[in-house]
Amino acid sequence: MPYLPEHDEVPNPLSAGLRAATTPEPCAVVVFGASGDLAHRKLMPAFYNLALGGHLPGAFGVVGVAITDFDDNKFRAEMREAVGKFSRIKPVQEEVWQDFADGMRYVNGGFDDPATFQKLKAKLEELDHTRATRGNRLFYCATPPSTFAMILKGLKDAGLIYPPNHPCYSRIVVEKPFGHDLASARALNKMVLEVLDEKQVFRIDHYLGKETVQNLMVLRFANSIWEPLWNNKYVDHVEITAGEELGIEARGKYYEEAGILRDMIQNHVLQLVTLTAMEPPVAFDADAVRDEKLKVLRAIRPIIGPDEVAQSVVVGQYTAGSIFGADVAGYRQEANVAADSRTPTYVALKLLINNWRWDGVPFYVRSGKRLPKRATEIAVHFKPLPHSLFGAGATQPNVLVVRVQPEEGIALRFSAKVPGERYRPRTVSMDFRYGTAFGSASPEAYERLLLDAMRGDQTLFTRKDEVEAAWKLVDQILRVIESPEAPRLCEYEAGSWGPSEADQLLSLDGRAWRRL
Amino acid sequence: MNEGQTGERMSAGASGKMRTGELEVRFADSIDIVKLRAMLAAARERAGAPLERILTLNLVGIHFSDASWEKALIGLEAASALHPARIVGLIAIPGEEESVVTARVAVARPKGAAFFVERIVLRASGKSVRRLESALTELLVPEVPIVVSWGGRMEGALLKRALETADRFIVDSSTRPPSSLSEIDNLVGHGAPIGDLAWARIFPWQCLAAEVLDIPNLREHRGNIQTVKITSAGPPGAEAMLLAGWFISRIRNVDVSIVVGPEPSPDSAPPPVSPQLEVSGSGGKVNVVPPAPQRLLVGQIAALEFFAPPVTVALRREKNGILDAQVSGDDDGDVAHRLRLPAATPGSLLVQELKLLAGCDEVYASSLREASRFEASYRGSETPA
Repeated sequence: MPYLPEHDEVPNPLSAGLRAATTPEPCAVVVFGASGDLAHRKLMPAFYNLALGGHLPGAFGVVGVAITDFDDNKFRAEMREAVGKFSRIKPVQEEVWQDFADGMRYVNGGFDDPATFQKLKAKLEELDHTRATRGNRLFYCATPPSTFAMILKGLKDAGLIYPPNHPCYSRIVVEKPFGHDLASARALNKMVLEVLDEKQVFRIDHYLGKETVQNLMVLRFANSIWEPLWNNKYVDHVEITAGEELGIEARGKYYEEAGILRDMIQNHVLQLVTLTAMEPPVAFDADAVRDEKLKVLRAIRPIIGPDEVAQSVVVGQYTAGSIFGADVAGYRQEANVAADSRTPTYVALKLLINNWRWDGVPFYVRSGKRLPKRATEIAVHFKPLPHSLFGAGATQPNVLVVRVQPEEGIALRFSAKVPGERYRPRTVSMDFRYGTAFGSASPEAYERLLLDAMRGDQTLFTRKDEVEAAWKLVDQILRVIESPEAPRLCEYEAGSWGPSEADQLLSLDGRAWRRL
Repeated sequence: MNEGQTGERMSAGASGKMRTGELEVRFADSIDIVKLRAMLAAARERAGAPLERILTLNLVGIHFSDASWEKALIGLEAASALHPARIVGLIAIPGEEESVVTARVAVARPKGAAFFVERIVLRASGKSVRRLESALTELLVPEVPIVVSWGGRMEGALLKRALETADRFIVDSSTRPPSSLSEIDNLVGHGAPIGDLAWARIFPWQCLAAEVLDIPNLREHRGNIQTVKITSAGPPGAEAMLLAGWFISRIRNVDVSIVVGPEPSPDSAPPPVSPQLEVSGSGGKVNVVPPAPQRLLVGQIAALEFFAPPVTVALRREKNGILDAQVSGDDDGDVAHRLRLPAATPGSLLVQELKLLAGCDEVYASSLREASRFEASYRGSETPA
């Protein structure tokens, strides 16, 4: 029988006012694709670090599911090695690991095989008895989107999905990419929501697990000084950069299908735009925050048709060049990339947000592979002074920079007097760095997100309508750049800041990208 | 060393606790704050610290024996590795004949950190002890929260000054006889922003007890908790009293008792810990102390049971750092629930207490009030006729 709280249920007398954060309810986490790279590099180290920090419930288990021929012990040994290699806290503390590993199980099988899910069910029931995981299940799809349908069907047929008001919970975490375009995202949402309720679905975007991204909300909504300035009266433009020096590594096949718009813009970069531009939510809960983010996505002026794309979008692809003193190949020379590929590895966009707060304030965003360095930041450029007392051009406009990575922090650029007898202003920067103000190492994004999923907190996960609204914007651009009328794919040398056409996108408005 | 002279000593100082690379000066008369500041600047230069200083906290330790200070310093240094801080140590030894203040100054960078920690320790003996009170304000970084870790009796001029100065005042009631809870309660009642490491130590028990009552088929028993039995390892300390006080403050008319259990075996004693921050001439380093599970000490809580007929909830420590709950008597069958005790690194409790940087925890205040009353009646019942 589903558990329904009675209206006269006595409140828990012991939980009121407890300052220590309580751990999540007991649960078993099922990782589909457990022998894969994500499980090795991110998920298992994250679980171990959560256990080390005392954040996991004592009653906890992990079941790995994959086609690799492991048993429980081999799986434990494999994950012990991965944790030793990739955990942010070393060395591995054996006592904690041992207790964690005691709750690890492995199911060997294909996702299209009903027997796999029967074996999984048996393992989960065994964990309920031996580890007191109490029937709660968090399913993590660390697998390509093409497997989601099989996994969902298998879970449903095996009776492993509870209705949302059941006393035990079943939730699913879905990795990006969530769809390939708007139509496929809608189809995927439809399929997922035929089996699960939206409250049970956690679409992960690991950018939202980063401390600095979360701090953006604290910066905006926990300080009184910014809000009066955070609008078109004082902000001239906003610049968002998400660049990396890396190429596509060994992911040529994936990248040929994805490109930079699907890989970065539809998810990470648009999330940064929404967090920068959103209105204060009425409460700090999942739906209130996501409602405001959604409003931003809906207010972004669509870029429709070849003319608008030509005016507001620059796409590029890297050619051979040099990064950190080493020669690197061009995109078309990478493995599994077509010799005549037209897949963009760089994009610059000019976005306009049609609402009261941001009308007339362009949001310039750029993202690219093989840029000179890894840098993700949001720069809010304030308007220039209406009149300078210290001579024309003596002062530069204020800029507030939120650095997401690396060297997470916040910097404010302002003018100060150069010491001496004359009033000579010079631009200086107040620089806050997480590393110097807080000694504790920030948790990995996956640690925070996994913990939130176990707690059932969806604030840092994207909602169905949010995902679809983001796809709608990107889809309109993709339709043009993947059509025969596509604008020219600009080339840029690896190790440069992108094609010169991206500079023109801003220079036409009398602006320029920040030098990072 | 003569008055006002500074120097670096590589061997043990007056108290036998001087550390490598510290700068030291002795004041037979008044404390020369200007000289201390100059020593601090010199120490920063020796450590290679940049001119721009980032300190987010004043961590003040006030203690009345060298041993108590050395123990507290481990926690303060661990906390300062998380919150860039100036550590100010005031050690008052009024019982010593010689009237002198010894100041030691050091600057070091915790391993892996991008910031430097400053440490100023004043050890006063004899009549010089009274000078510490007025020196305190001058040693603090302005505009930064002040957290005082207090290691003595709850009395005296130094206490008054520290309470007036502190944004948060941390004690460890488990280091004092349980009867001292009433003194703390008195201060909290007057608005003192007190935090208690003994209170932080019982969080896992509170959390697990609360979590058990959130299990769906056990929620029906929430309103029916009638008796609570706390078993202490040997004579009960402040932690057992605070847990008793917490239950009394949360549940009306609950009958709470404390049972004296056997003292813990020697193998459950905590492992020795070394200081976190060692200063050397070229800066500093932190000895990494791997987090170890909490060990049971005399006076701490060994087990907890509460009864909501027909249900019995029994919580006990397992050896591997797990707190285990067993629930029996429910018509839906027996239930097990577990919670990992947080790793007991030096300073972890202090860090937990630092999450609240000002004011007082209301639940602690009400629990302390009840714990103080309970302790008085418990003491009365234990006194032989």
